Amino acid sequence: MAEVFVLAEHRQGELREVSLELLTLASDLGDKVTAVLLGSGTDEFANRCANFADRVLYVDDVMFSNFNASAYQAALSELIKKEKPKTVLIGNTVQGVDLIGSLGVELDVPFTTDAIAIQMEGDKPAVTRQYYGGKINGAVEFKDSEMYLIGVREAAAPAGEGGKSGEIVKVENPVTVEITARRFLEYVEAQVGEVDITQSATLVSVGRGIREDKNIPMMEELAGLLGADLSASRAVVDAGWLPQDRQVGISGKTVKPKLYLAVGISGAFQHVTGMKGSELVVAINKDPDAPIFQYADYGIVDDLFKVVPALIEKLKETKG
Amino acid sequence: MGVEQGTFVQKYDLLGCIQCGRCTGGCPVTSRTELNVRRIVYESIDDEKLEDLSNKPEIWDCTTCNTCAIRCPKGLEPFEVLIGLRSMKAEEGDIEPTARDALESMFNNGNPWGKPAAKRTDWMSDIPGVKKVRILSEGEKADVLVHVCCTAAYDPRIIPLAKNLVRVLEAAGVDYGFIGNEEKHCGSEARRLGEEGLFEYFDEENTELFSKYEVNRIVTISPHCLNTFKNEYQNLNIPVMHYTQLVAELIEDGKIDLKGEIPKKVVYHDPCYLGKKNLVFDEPRYILNKINGIELAEFERSKERSLCCEGGGGKMWVESSSKAERLAELRIADAKNLGAEIVAVACPFCLLTLEDAMKVKGFEEEMRVADILELLGEVI
Amino acid sequence: MNIVVCVKQVPDTSDPDTEVHIDSTGRGVDESKFSFVINDADNYAVEEAIRLKEKHGGEVTVVNIGPEGANQVIRMALAKGGNSAIRLFDEKFAFSDIVATARILHSAIKDLSYDIVMTGCMASDDGFAAVGVTLAQMLGIPHAAMVKHVEVIDEKKLKVGRELEGGLMEMLEIEIPCLLTIQTGINEPRYASFKGIREASKKEIKLMDLSAAGLGDDMVGEAGSVAVMKQYSVPEVGELAEMLEGDAGETSTKLAQILKEKGLV
Repeated sequence: MAEVFVLAEHRQGELREVSLELLTLASDLGDKVTAVLLGSGTDEFANRCANFADRVLYVDDVMFSNFNASAYQAALSELIKKEKPKTVLIGNTVQGVDLIGSLGVELDVPFTTDAIAIQMEGDKPAVTRQYYGGKINGAVEFKDSEMYLIGVREAAAPAGEGGKSGEIVKVENPVTVEITARRFLEYVEAQVGEVDITQSATLVSVGRGIREDKNIPMMEELAGLLGADLSASRAVVDAGWLPQDRQVGISGKTVKPKLYLAVGISGAFQHVTGMKGSELVVAINKDPDAPIFQYADYGIVDDLFKVVPALIEKLKETKG
Repeated sequence: MGVEQGTFVQKYDLLGCIQCGRCTGGCPVTSRTELNVRRIVYESIDDEKLEDLSNKPEIWDCTTCNTCAIRCPKGLEPFEVLIGLRSMKAEEGDIEPTARDALESMFNNGNPWGKPAAKRTDWMSDIPGVKKVRILSEGEKADVLVHVCCTAAYDPRIIPLAKNLVRVLEAAGVDYGFIGNEEKHCGSEARRLGEEGLFEYFDEENTELFSKYEVNRIVTISPHCLNTFKNEYQNLNIPVMHYTQLVAELIEDGKIDLKGEIPKKVVYHDPCYLGKKNLVFDEPRYILNKINGIELAEFERSKERSLCCEGGGGKMWVESSSKAERLAELRIADAKNLGAEIVAVACPFCLLTLEDAMKVKGFEEEMRVADILELLGEVI
Repeated sequence: MNIVVCVKQVPDTSDPDTEVHIDSTGRGVDESKFSFVINDADNYAVEEAIRLKEKHGGEVTVVNIGPEGANQVIRMALAKGGNSAIRLFDEKFAFSDIVATARILHSAIKDLSYDIVMTGCMASDDGFAAVGVTLAQMLGIPHAAMVKHVEVIDEKKLKVGRELEGGLMEMLEIEIPCLLTIQTGINEPRYASFKGIREASKKEIKLMDLSAAGLGDDMVGEAGSVAVMKQYSVPEVGELAEMLEGDAGETSTKLAQILKEKGLV
């Protein structure tokens, strides 16, 4: 019976969505899905994982109150060596990438990272990954082995509805020595007030199309709903509607957010050069010939003063 | 940073300076920034002060428009001192990230725009009436070698300039050719961003590249390329001219038939590097006057006194901290007051900065900024 | 504080106009139209290494796997302040996966004296984001990935910050020697001037091939790999933007849905 292990990921009292995504995905890869939860007083997470798994291996120990790659690796390798699953899935998150390579070497199993899709070829998983910043895909084949370890990209597959009721098995912490090589200290929130748009994960970027500075608050509201910072084209900065440090482009900042929502920006070459590394670009502009659409993944040709208020309402609904 | 004793004094002939202040008096950016070129020239005489001076942010406000040099009664070039100070920072590696990225791209890609060298000739497709743009192979002969300029090769807003030049050359039956993907940045902006070493590299590379062809002259689209090839390259022995000079010659010889009509009021903005720096004032006006329908107006500040658009001197990559209105905006406001419907330019940077300013001013409905090549494209 | 910093030369494919074409073997790409640059994250790693050296003394050794053309990125790192460099290259290294790549680096680094080994957190061509962490395990030292803050506490310990999703920073203490994979944005990399690079080209770059690395044929390349990329394919995405049609109510609904699906709301 092929068993799939999924490492549950949590942080600051929240089970991260990627855990449920991977548990859902795991159902297609094996006939037994086991969630591995390393936590401390996280029974609620165990219950939620059980809803998506046939079994939950739950280590409840203060050692796992916060993520520590050294402690995680020590515990996981012991559990995996003992239980011998066929496949181990770990989210290719900041937590996951701190773990996969070293765990793979310690277990001496074939592994790869950042899978966007996994297909079963017999009882062996085959992985699709992206290369060159997503410009091409590659099919990765593992060497034959008793076990495979795969880092899976967040949101590569949606989390399903669950509906299972796996058994929660409390396991003694296999790590008996104190972990000293690496110690968790604290979480530090990004400094408030100082916005560095080169580091923003999401940007709402505004151009001349917003017409007047009195429309900035509306854009701020949109940005707030997306957890985004506001950036701008040179024209907006020149007009003094936003400070210079928000300017994107060759004489401003080079940004590479996960989402760049360009509102009322035509997309001059000097602007586009500063945002071309963005992962997902969405453009809203009334001019269908605006060059920004050549760089966008999604476009809306319409009056931004109609679309933005509607989008704000939709996002409010989505967020409840 | 080890500046040799007396470097600046000798290199820029600083002892010749009489501190008359005509440089600062004419400097167009003094009104909107901290820059006081007279004081910097004075303090640069003291080697001990060079380090401090190089750390002043305003040395990056200079657009190298040449006004100070034109006005200097002693024939000095005060702005060159600012470039010298910039080069101290470039050598240390301590420059604005935007300038750093442009310079790294020049080194890696042969252009400041972060675009692959192999895509330099991509603009050559889809030119109306032109089947194939001629690219010269080594040793090939041609009357005119066209240097396209990085901006005209890659910026979609400027590419039409290059395309229209090809149309003009074809229409006039000129024996022309381009270099192709091996063409490199002229080095002008590298030098003005303080990268002396990189400039020397482009000087050597391009001189060698040009000598591979048998051509009578080199024609540039940008006045910045023109200037650096003509005045700054050490061993380039081929005559260099701006496209306006060639086109004026072609019109004079009756080789171009300007059929169309542009019934508009046009004001011509003298690009600093074409006018003040290389004294090409008449040819652009000659061409505009030859286009049917054009009513040519003059700015109050024109020719030697033309107001800089702030696109030169590496300023495309270094933003000034000044909140004051850009010179380009003043220029557009002047054009508006003249009742101009078209602001004609003959430089890619002028086109970009003035068009931007026109949009900021919100004059898009009633006015446009166009390069002379675009206007020619409409009438041939 | 002796630091080893690993740098990779990659094609600059960040520009949306740069197309990546699969070659006739299906396992490579047409590199003729690429320009090659230092991997973005590695550039920050070099800067961080040099800043630590400037502050705490010691030497920076630059390590690279790559062909002769990669000398350019090595020289750039040397021009910025690197002391010495090693370049590993052998035809047999081709198609190395995460493990084989880490093994090649390990062969050169294991004999160096270091306090910190740094790599970029991810290479822009293969997107592995794993070679550094894998190398750490081979070297038998602790590691921290996606590091955006480094502070020396004393000769034995560093305080480092890992940048988590959403901008939160996870602060931790780590024993020296250790390996850090450096996230972009940790610093502002300096410029290496043309003269500086030319000057740096006088410094020797030590070359190591398969035998100099003390590795066997079966330890590198495809033979030494556990997860081999067998076939590239073109992803199914439109060239141009997907235009969302309808009135503002419809388009905004569609957009909100897309952002939700992609985990951006």
